[in-house]
Parts: sequence; structure tokens; C-alpha cells
Amino acid sequence: MLKAPFDPVQMAIPFFVLAIILEILIGRFGKAKANYETRDTAMSLSMGFGSTIAGLLLGGVIFAVTVWVWKHRIFTIPMTAVWAWIAVFLLEDLTYYWFHRLAHERRVWWASHVNHHTSTHYNLSTALRQTWTGGVAGTWLLWLPLSFLGFPPAMVAIQKGVSLVYQFWIHTEAIKRMPRWFEAVFNTPSHHRVHHARNARYLDANYAGILIIWDRMFGTFIPEVDEEPCRYGTVKNLGNFNLFHNVFHEWIGIAKDVAASPRHALGYIFGPPGWSHDGSRDTSHTLKAKWRARMEAGEGAPPQ
Amino acid sequence: MFSNLNSNKLRGDASVLDKALLIQLGGSVAAVALLVAFAAWMGVARETPPLDPDIARALIALEFPDHKPDAVWIAADGAGIIAREGALALVLYRRGDGYVARDLPWSAVAALKPTKGRLALKLPDARPVFAVNDDVWPPKEFA
Repeated sequence: MLKAPFDPVQMAIPFFVLAIILEILIGRFGKAKANYETRDTAMSLSMGFGSTIAGLLLGGVIFAVTVWVWKHRIFTIPMTAVWAWIAVFLLEDLTYYWFHRLAHERRVWWASHVNHHTSTHYNLSTALRQTWTGGVAGTWLLWLPLSFLGFPPAMVAIQKGVSLVYQFWIHTEAIKRMPRWFEAVFNTPSHHRVHHARNARYLDANYAGILIIWDRMFGTFIPEVDEEPCRYGTVKNLGNFNLFHNVFHEWIGIAKDVAASPRHALGYIFGPPGWSHDGSRDTSHTLKAKWRARMEAGEGAPPQ
Repeated sequence: MFSNLNSNKLRGDASVLDKALLIQLGGSVAAVALLVAFAAWMGVARETPPLDPDIARALIALEFPDHKPDAVWIAADGAGIIAREGALALVLYRRGDGYVARDLPWSAVAALKPTKGRLALKLPDARPVFAVNDDVWPPKEFA
């Protein structure tokens, strides 16, 4: 009930390795689109490795808090009931949607999530480019209501793992589109390519974990259009391949902004990424407005 | 005696756990290194041919859609672009198999001095180097 009897992510690691090898081979022999740049791949995989170490450091505290909350639960939900697994699947996925949306739309959480988006490539190794600072950022707090409702911590942990494993295979350009019914309900490579794109048209969209229905419900769904291929990375791409720069650059950016303008600290911490007190920087919102203005001015789709 | 036994057993369990963790971490490091080496060996990065004027203009339009530079200079090795729009320099330099875009005051770029055919730019997060013919800077494009 407390500790998960197995970890879906740990179990899936051999599959991750084999899938990456397969995707590289597919790209090498021209069977589908797949590009791997050596230093980019090294950074993605090192981030994945480092995130497991970071997870070990704060894992105990997070687990203890989760157990404490569960001990004060409203209901007792059995781990053996099918309905409970269906419920935790839906509620965990909904929680993930809101976590992910916050992680993009509020700078303090973006600081811990941005490093997942800094690759200018979109391949299976990008899926492993995981945060080192998520524990410190406290995004795990969003899952506590599930334990408070009465879902055993082990159940929530397993479902979180299932979601992470599901999201691995959608980080690829090798799959163009899934069947229409699947694209309508589930998060797919196409939907998630949009999420990783830095084109103004695609910013702040498709936050889904497993089910894309949340984006459709909450108005953040944007379909991939063939006329505008996704360009990957962040609005302002990283200038180097330094691993630690990738991990901490946004945190350092926040610290510098707060030190320079302490009166505007709240805006620099909890405002959207790109927010500035004098309006001198671009947020996703302003970038999209400029893009729309260019389209309305008849400049058409940007060159590819 | 029992407490000693228990603590010894606990220490034993912990050391087994430590060993398992170390093996797992070591295996992960090896797997990462092998996968990176495999990707490098397979050579599946994007192609980055030297930039020509058309591609350079297209790249600038893509990265700086709200700017219309007056002049564009392509590095001698075709691996970078510096464009000027009034008091602003628009810079694109190669990073891996892609390009990074930055803007900075033109005065900072104009004041640079190339040495041995290399123009080194100081950016907050990078030190890109541009190949320059004959150490002439700024070149005729910006005259």
C-alpha cells in the first residue's frame, strides 16, 4: 500500500535502450526520419541518468510527505479494485496535465522543466532528458490530493511510472500519424511534436500525458500542420552543450532578475517565462500575437 | 549481543544495497556512453552544408521574423551569419548540427578585432568563433 512493489520506469529501461538503438538504425538506413547529434544525445542521456540521482536525494522526503498525507486520507481506496485503477489513471493524467501546464506557464516551474525542452532534436533520447530540480521546485505537491483522496501511495507511484513510460515512445519523428481515433483520444508523436516545437504557432500547447482529451477540453490543443514543420528547442535556444548550464540556466536567470529588480520579484518568479517588468521581453503570448499579426499582414507561413 | 547482530545485519543489508546501487549506476553510465558512441558511429546528425546567401536569408527570416536586416555577412567557412539592422547585430552561429540565434548591439560587433582569420564573439552563454577572410573586419558588406 505504501511502497510500490515494482517501478514501471525501471522495468522499461532495457526497452528504452533497445528502442533508441532501433530508432538510430531506422534513421541511418533512411527508413524514417530520425536524427541524433552526438553532444545533444550525450546531454539528453546524461540528464536522464542525473535525474535518477536527483530523485534518490529527495525521494525519501517526498515519500514521507506522501505517506503522511495518505494517513490523513478521506476515503480508503483498495489497490485491488479495477474501478480504483481506472479512477487513478484518469485522475493522475488530469493531475499531470495541470502540472505540465503550470510547468510551462509559470517561470519557477519552467526553470525545472525547461531542460526537457532544450534539445533541438526530437528523438527517443529527448524523452530521457529529465529534470534534476523537479523535487526542489515542488511540483510533486500537485499529486498529494490523490493520496489525500485515499489512493495508496504505491498506486499513485505506479500510475506515474506508467505515464512516464507511455510518454517515451511519443518522442519521435519516425511515426507521422496514428489512426484517427487514436489521435483523437491519446497523446501521440504528432501531438507531442507540437508541444516540443518552438514555432510561435505551436507555443504552449498539448500538455497531455497519456490522454489528449484534457487539451481539447481546456482549450490548449493545437494540431500539427504539414505546412509548418515543427522546429524543436526553446524560443531562445541554448548557446552551448554544457550539461550544468542546461540544468540551472533558468534558475540563474530568475536569481539575476530578482536581484536586479527585487520590487518585481513575484513577477519574475511566478510570471510566465519571458515576463519582464518593463515589457522588454517576449512571452509566449506576445510571440503568438506577433505571429498572428504577421499572418494577418499577409506574410504567410514562415520559410522552412 | 542481539542488538550487535541486528546492527551488523543492517550494515550488511545496507552494503548489499550500496553495492547493487553502485552496479546499477555503473551500468547506467556504461549504457549512456555506449549509446552516445553508437549514435556518433552511425552518423545520423543533420547535414550542415556551408551557408549560401539564400539559406542565410531564410535562416534569418526564420529566427528573426520581426527584423529586416540591411546587410548580411556569411562567415568564410559558411558556418555563421552576422547581419546588421541599424544599431542591432543579428547573429547566427553553428552549434552541433543546428544554429543558435542571438542579437546584440552592433557597436559591440563592429568593435571586434579578428586574429588569424578568427573573429571571436563574447556572448553570455557562448563564445562563437567566425572565420574571416584576411582579418578584415567589418567586411565590405557592412560598409
